[in-house]
Amino acid sequence: MFGQLVIGGFATGCIYAVVGLGFTLVYRTLRMVNFAQGHVFMAGTFLGLVIAERMHLPALPLLLVVGAVAFGLGMVLERFVFRRLYHNHEVFIVGSIGLGIVLMNGVRVFFPEPVPFPKVFGSEVVQIGTARFQEAYLWVVAATLILVVLLHAMFTYTRTGRALRAVAADAEIAGAVGVNVKRAIGLTFGLSFAVAAIAGVLIGPLYFVSFDMGDMVGLKAFSAAVFGGINSIPGTILGGIVIGILENLAGGYISSAYKDLVAFVILLLMLIWRPTGLLGRETPVKV
Amino acid sequence: MRMNKLVTALVAAGAMVAAGPGLAQDIKLGVVAGMSGPGTSYGIGIRQGAEMAVKEINAAGGIKGRKISLVVVDDASNPAQSVSAMQRLVSDGVDLVVGGWGSSQVLANMEVAERAGLPYIVVGATNPKITTDKNKWTYRVIFTDSVQAEQIAEAAVKRLGMKRIAVIHDANDYGVGNRDIFLASLKKLGVEPVVVVPYQTADKDFTAQLTRIREANPDGLAIFGTIPAAPAIMNQARDLGIKARFIGTGGLANENLMTLAPKASEGTVLTTYFHEDVDPEARAWADRYVKEFSGGSQPPRPVLAAWEYRAIKYIAAPCLEQAGTDKEKLRQCFANWKGKLFSVPGEAYFDKTGQLIQQSVLVEVGNGNFQAFKGK
Amino acid sequence: MGSALTRWLVAGSALLALLALPAVAPQYVVHISNFVLIYTLPVIGLGFLTGFTGRVSLAQGALFGTGAYTTALLTTKFGWAPIATLVPSVVVTVVLAVALGGAAVRLAGLYFVMATIGIQQIVWLVLMNWIELTNGPQGVRSIPSLGAWGYSFETPQQFYFLALGLALVSYVLAKRVIKSRLGLFLRALSDDQLAASSVAVEVGRAKVTALALSAAWAGAGGFLYAHYVRYIHPDMFGLEPSVLFLVMSMFGGYRSVEGMILATAVLESATEYLRPFGEFRMIAYGLVLLLGMMFFPKGILTLFRRRAATSAAGSSA
Repeated sequence: MFGQLVIGGFATGCIYAVVGLGFTLVYRTLRMVNFAQGHVFMAGTFLGLVIAERMHLPALPLLLVVGAVAFGLGMVLERFVFRRLYHNHEVFIVGSIGLGIVLMNGVRVFFPEPVPFPKVFGSEVVQIGTARFQEAYLWVVAATLILVVLLHAMFTYTRTGRALRAVAADAEIAGAVGVNVKRAIGLTFGLSFAVAAIAGVLIGPLYFVSFDMGDMVGLKAFSAAVFGGINSIPGTILGGIVIGILENLAGGYISSAYKDLVAFVILLLMLIWRPTGLLGRETPVKV
Repeated sequence: MRMNKLVTALVAAGAMVAAGPGLAQDIKLGVVAGMSGPGTSYGIGIRQGAEMAVKEINAAGGIKGRKISLVVVDDASNPAQSVSAMQRLVSDGVDLVVGGWGSSQVLANMEVAERAGLPYIVVGATNPKITTDKNKWTYRVIFTDSVQAEQIAEAAVKRLGMKRIAVIHDANDYGVGNRDIFLASLKKLGVEPVVVVPYQTADKDFTAQLTRIREANPDGLAIFGTIPAAPAIMNQARDLGIKARFIGTGGLANENLMTLAPKASEGTVLTTYFHEDVDPEARAWADRYVKEFSGGSQPPRPVLAAWEYRAIKYIAAPCLEQAGTDKEKLRQCFANWKGKLFSVPGEAYFDKTGQLIQQSVLVEVGNGNFQAFKGK
Repeated sequence: MGSALTRWLVAGSALLALLALPAVAPQYVVHISNFVLIYTLPVIGLGFLTGFTGRVSLAQGALFGTGAYTTALLTTKFGWAPIATLVPSVVVTVVLAVALGGAAVRLAGLYFVMATIGIQQIVWLVLMNWIELTNGPQGVRSIPSLGAWGYSFETPQQFYFLALGLALVSYVLAKRVIKSRLGLFLRALSDDQLAASSVAVEVGRAKVTALALSAAWAGAGGFLYAHYVRYIHPDMFGLEPSVLFLVMSMFGGYRSVEGMILATAVLESATEYLRPFGEFRMIAYGLVLLLGMMFFPKGILTLFRRRAATSAAGSSA
């Protein structure tokens, strides 16, 4: 039983990690939290659903197409919507919540009921020891790994990546040395939307998809990011996986009723103890 | 400043009053069910049943010349919204309500109907607490969990020969009500369940619960829940290697079960509210219904539509003819109603608590359809 | 603007109009007005916290629910008389808020919001899952209506006067708190954290006091709510109402009690009016939030009533 719970938890944890990355990327650059992130994840799933059913794309092209579309959408929304919300935290929070509501109910108009997602990652069941799971789980883990590696490579070795890091560290100075700050922020949003949407396609075949699937995932991914360090990419990944595994273990051994509680108790405790998270670095201003 | 508040409220109210459709002398029949969100497939069936019945009645001249106009309110299968939905029906001045899906929703919204003295025929909620000695205005046509859960317990032990039964149930009134009665029935039959676990209606991942169930090595798994949780449980159970046969009650009686769990649902045995093979009128109605509602954006769902249709056409309409729209007279007409309904063997009548007494039907999922249960 | 006589006349006629409402308006309007009156309590409470300490909370819905559940359980499970449960409802809410949030109040703005999200979700999950205590997803039914000495506030019209009375009391109390030493100190905190922090010990305690005040108002509102709708369920106290209360207080501009009340009235009426439109209602609501924040970040109503707000704030200083 332990093995089954851990493997299942690892996969959902990867999803929390990837969606959480979206929170982290935006936070690092802007010090703001985008609460539409969970619903972007959901929208990505439905985008993948529509494309998979209309164009019958296999797994990899599907992921790339959805990622690209989401990336574009993220940049466009940053330019016309998010940019007007930077006044202060609560304006950004409420505004992004509003955007999330629009996304969720927009999808709801077309898909009021839960629907199955095509099995683009195959439907074989894999067995390891006593643990059995859909092969799609392997895709989830593999994709997360590849995504993390790619992002790391981008941030370390490419000019764009270094520009983004510069803006994250100190936007004023970055601008002073010639980085196009506005474009960097736009790219950051594009990336955060893309990873969320890709996570959506990854998880699609595992469960039925419905317009409300982004709510809880978004909140847990947020908790994962805070837990691991909302300005640390490896921290967020770690946080996601830990929360995914812990909540499955709690659900299996203690009580399925309190499974969801795990993420939020961890969130609250971490904030009280160490707001920057496990691997975070910045010192918040505590007044 | 507070004048603004008053003006705003008055304008909003005026607009709402002006927006009601239908003529003043129409009979207003309210329908409340979940037509968005997870329980949509149930609510749509109910709405289709209502539309079909009302269309036929109005085409045949209505009730003594008056047409029936439907007032349909969506409660998104949410008890809190269901209370508001019922309050809207009360404010809209409907003459009676035929509908209501979901035990938690109905237990909540029937209080509004009872306080307002509004005749209410429940078609889609099976918890026994709905019809007791306390309800005066609420009547229920669908049979209760007391009947269903007991029947499926007997079938599981005596006809399917199950010895190691696991139970997974929704934590809401429907799931808990079924669980309690099922376990009590099992006890009478001398059987103990091997494991009992709950879940929340909105859960999507059941790995934790199913892993515990797998450890207990059951030969039967009773699922007391609704779409979309039930098919998700079935799919995930099979993925995890659980081979036990699934059994359940009316929450599973929804065509969407086979759409969402095409392979996993095969062989499931459940109690249902309607089956077209019970008698020829049932078959005739089912064919008419499927013809009328095929080709739309939603596939037809005869199982859920059947009760709404029968309640309106054979119970509400004759009583409206006989008693008019006087609420007290309507109520008494229901109390004294007796008759034959298609797909219900024998004669049906309401008992002292407002419950329609009738027998239930056992079916099995086979080849993607509900088929009469023949034995094994 | 500013003659005291004019202000008294306006207030007086507004009061008269409010008192006459149930007699002239249809039942449904009275029903909505009751919700407006009930919601002003948690919204004003939020105003205390946010407007006067600069901390935004997304847990007000959960605290509102704590008050509602306290009274619902005391009356249905233990047979308490409804009147007797007002104090316990408020106390339990305050204790819960301070226990969970007290340690978090010292966090900087955004981190505090995050913490309140955690609190909101934890409380909601406990309400949903601690079935022995709260009945979980079945909710608490048959909550009695409020009453005293044989008279009960059962119908919307009857309840209206009770709610109006309590809303007025809380309005007066709120203005008092704002003008008090505590209120001044709290506003100073929000205006200039560093200067205020020179009196460091006082800062921490003041923030917790603000939190306690906001929780008290939320709990009282929950108490009223439970005895009006007579059926409660955890989904009524999730993140969605928390956001709604926050938006109402933001749209009104935190410093103006009148503004918050007006924003509550407008938003609540609007959401009720849009109810028949199903999903489109929610899309409209989302757009209101988004566009409101994009174009009126300092509060819609302060745009129109800038003068009134400054004179109110100025005269109460």
